[in-house]
Amino acid sequence: MSKALVCTCEDVTVSDIEHALERGYQDVESVKRFTGFGTGICQGKSCHSAVAALLQKSKALKSEAVVPFTPRPPLYPTELRLLASAPVDESVPPMGGVPQELEHFPSALRPQGPVPQKAKVVIIGGGIMGLSLAYNLALRGETDVVVLERGYLCAGASGRNGGGVRMQWGTPALIELAKRSIDLMKVFARDLGVNVWLRQGGYLFLAKRKDTALRLEKNAVLHNKYGVPTRIITPDAARDIVPGLTMKDCLTAAYNPEDGVIFPWAFLWGYAQGSVKRGVKVETYTNVTGFETSNGQVRKVKTDRGDIACDTVVLASGAWSPQVAKLADVALPNEPHRHEILSTEPLKPFLSPLVSVLDTGLYFSQSMRGEIVGGMGDPKEPAGPNMGSTLRFVSRFARALTEQLPNVGQVKVLRQWGGLYDVTPDNNPILGRTPGLDNLLQMSGFVGHGFMMAPAVAERMAQWMTSGTSDELFTRFNLRRFESGTLEREEMIIG
Amino acid sequence: MRRLPDATPRGRAITVDLEGESIPAIEGEPVACSLIAAGENVLSRSVKYHRPRGPFCFAAACSHCLMRVDGLPNVYTCRTPAKEGMRLERQNAYPSANVDIFATIDWFFPKRFDHHEMFAGVPIAEDVMAKVARQLAGLGLLPKEPGPQALPSRTLHIKVAVVGGGPAGLEAARVLAGKGVPFLLLERDANLGGRLVHGTPEDGAPFVPEPTAFPQGSVLKRATVLGLYDDEHGRYLAVASQEPEGLRLLKVYAERFLLTVGGHPPTLPFENNDLPGVFAGRAASLLLRRHDVAPEVATLVGHGLELHALAHLLTQRGVEVAAVVDLKGPLPANAHPKACVGDGLKAHGLRGVGALSFTPQGGRKQKVACDAIIVSVPVTPGFELARQGGAKVEFDANAGHFRVDADADGRTQAADVFVAGDVAKVGTAKDAAAMGQRAAQALLGGLS
Repeated sequence: MSKALVCTCEDVTVSDIEHALERGYQDVESVKRFTGFGTGICQGKSCHSAVAALLQKSKALKSEAVVPFTPRPPLYPTELRLLASAPVDESVPPMGGVPQELEHFPSALRPQGPVPQKAKVVIIGGGIMGLSLAYNLALRGETDVVVLERGYLCAGASGRNGGGVRMQWGTPALIELAKRSIDLMKVFARDLGVNVWLRQGGYLFLAKRKDTALRLEKNAVLHNKYGVPTRIITPDAARDIVPGLTMKDCLTAAYNPEDGVIFPWAFLWGYAQGSVKRGVKVETYTNVTGFETSNGQVRKVKTDRGDIACDTVVLASGAWSPQVAKLADVALPNEPHRHEILSTEPLKPFLSPLVSVLDTGLYFSQSMRGEIVGGMGDPKEPAGPNMGSTLRFVSRFARALTEQLPNVGQVKVLRQWGGLYDVTPDNNPILGRTPGLDNLLQMSGFVGHGFMMAPAVAERMAQWMTSGTSDELFTRFNLRRFESGTLEREEMIIG
Repeated sequence: MRRLPDATPRGRAITVDLEGESIPAIEGEPVACSLIAAGENVLSRSVKYHRPRGPFCFAAACSHCLMRVDGLPNVYTCRTPAKEGMRLERQNAYPSANVDIFATIDWFFPKRFDHHEMFAGVPIAEDVMAKVARQLAGLGLLPKEPGPQALPSRTLHIKVAVVGGGPAGLEAARVLAGKGVPFLLLERDANLGGRLVHGTPEDGAPFVPEPTAFPQGSVLKRATVLGLYDDEHGRYLAVASQEPEGLRLLKVYAERFLLTVGGHPPTLPFENNDLPGVFAGRAASLLLRRHDVAPEVATLVGHGLELHALAHLLTQRGVEVAAVVDLKGPLPANAHPKACVGDGLKAHGLRGVGALSFTPQGGRKQKVACDAIIVSVPVTPGFELARQGGAKVEFDANAGHFRVDADADGRTQAADVFVAGDVAKVGTAKDAAAMGQRAAQALLGGLS
């Protein structure tokens, strides 16, 4: 059948590009994500400029707004075994990272015209938190909502995470939220018309140290109490689930077959489209520049496209929340921490669950497209907004992965990137009202796991905001806890 | 495609194994070249629509030639030297690449298929689709073996690292060698010269220097740069070096990086532009000049200097050139006799190119039989490495591509990153060499 291809690696046609434009995805980064162009084996070498030229010709973008998507290392597909040979000095913290992210998106990408002059609710942050909240507010009749996003949809952590969703948590609050989220993910396509490719292949946690093994055992009891079918299994049973797994130095494993992986980007498109359809305004490439406050209330949110008078402001900017809160003289205890991740060439299915070695923070799964997607925390990673990629990470990851799954040694890495965990002192989120600024609501601090929590958290938050009924979630996790000193630490953090 | 009757013997005649069949090959030439010379045009099936694909770019810049080679998935056969007994399998095809039942997907979805919305929320259908999609997704199979460990990595420190041994890089190296500045030139190919040895011949182009022209150890071939990283010791290139004993990772720290990587052959969107038998212009000149492999009857489409030069080159070597469609015009003085200004391109054929149709300016649509369509358009700058190194990249609206923002001497926004040649401004080999010379002189400023 006759087709004009523009990205042949991913079979993206000229018609696909036109379709993305019709849907409102006009900048190179957004069109890349929506169509998949440039995400294949060649990473855009043959198609990047060709697509840009199509976008420019379509008049969707001014020339100054045609900026390339961020090219990621490695430049050519590279075997994990080669990357594993790079020397790493574990005694020093990781330094540097490439490429440097654009500090500000080009102003040519900013939409023409001002933002609405007033709105009932202004949500700062167009990641999964902000967009799912906007959608849930709209469902409950509150459609006078503006979502402000500094970049494109998926520019932040929501577009950079590995797509794991799990019920295996260490505290009842998070277990219940995650359970509800996964239920909502199952019906997401029905409610919002976009496939999110939830695949419940389970999560397999491995423990190397005795205390980690004990924690998994303790958690399994808790999980079962809350209806999560986690079971502790032997190394042999783990090898039955993942053929080829060495289980090197691993004492035990915990497996919940109902955990899984999803395709993150589609959630943002679905929530954004669902919100806009109901009257919400989603303003991308728009920066918050300050707040106008009086008598303990935020009165206006200032942006580089005008001010918005509002009744309520929700701060849902993930790792950028402290920086935005500072504009209102609010100090948040969150700190951004880089976490790096990579994706390999796509292979036919061979790996069912997401596997994680809890002691080292290694995790890996196989995406719906067949890529191995995985990352590993670095205990020496300093706080800061660095999102660059390092050779140190790919080397550490390649060694840790090939230790557990040797046959991937000759599998090739296609790209690596970094994102920010939004880390709080007790690894728990920050939700609810802000002391001293009553109508500034917090919705951040999910420590790299916000994506899987968002559908359930947004549902509870929208209910709480629109009904006025109390919900212990927004008192237990509000900012006051850091002063009163009653912290219950979540230990099931990967990375 | 075929090997020309007057082909120079360039290596030992061997055979490779294509799914159980013995195929003649020349030892050391890219195995994809051997395959097409032997009439094997379909090397793979595409990821989504299972469209037939044959090699296109011969530059590791697309995915058309990926095959399973000796048990490893997704190997660029356009860059893999043929070896006696090499086992080649075509991927993503059932039951075979020539008759693939999943190619029906291509017919069911004539324009596109929107996997984001298809069957979204439709009970049962969406579950079935998810299961089918997972099985259909992916290219190639997990290797059965872990493979040997890579050789121990090596760390080098050098004043200047030059990436790319084409006209710009070679000219820069000549300047640096003349001034006694220690440098390391990294070339991913087995030969120096780049377009000078495999592009279209150009009047006044510089000569490729003899290997002895440079200080010993200052040129490393078969060395693919993977990234420009930084760490606690400074900025360095990560390099995959193919050595006789195996692959080795190099960390090359340098005070200056001169990036002369040239460009990638771009996709030119027209109908069926992905059919086996559609080749990039630089691929066609490489096949002809380095391997004496060429079509029987070629059509050429595109624009720019190389289009017409390539048409003449093919004619000189006895290839019948049936049409040359210049998409921009006006035709240059030296245009090929079959050249016209035109548009409305479409490739015809089922499993390979059989004809090209186009509409000449002011004329009626024509259909010309051919066994290859050669797309000769200016390359698109390979800006990726420079961008990683902190250089600014801009969109050149006239040329329709991204390029590195640099001054005439190759200075970029990053103080230690210099560029020269097509990566900064697409032009002739002579232009590239001149800029390489200027950049080499410019980067010496402030060097310790």
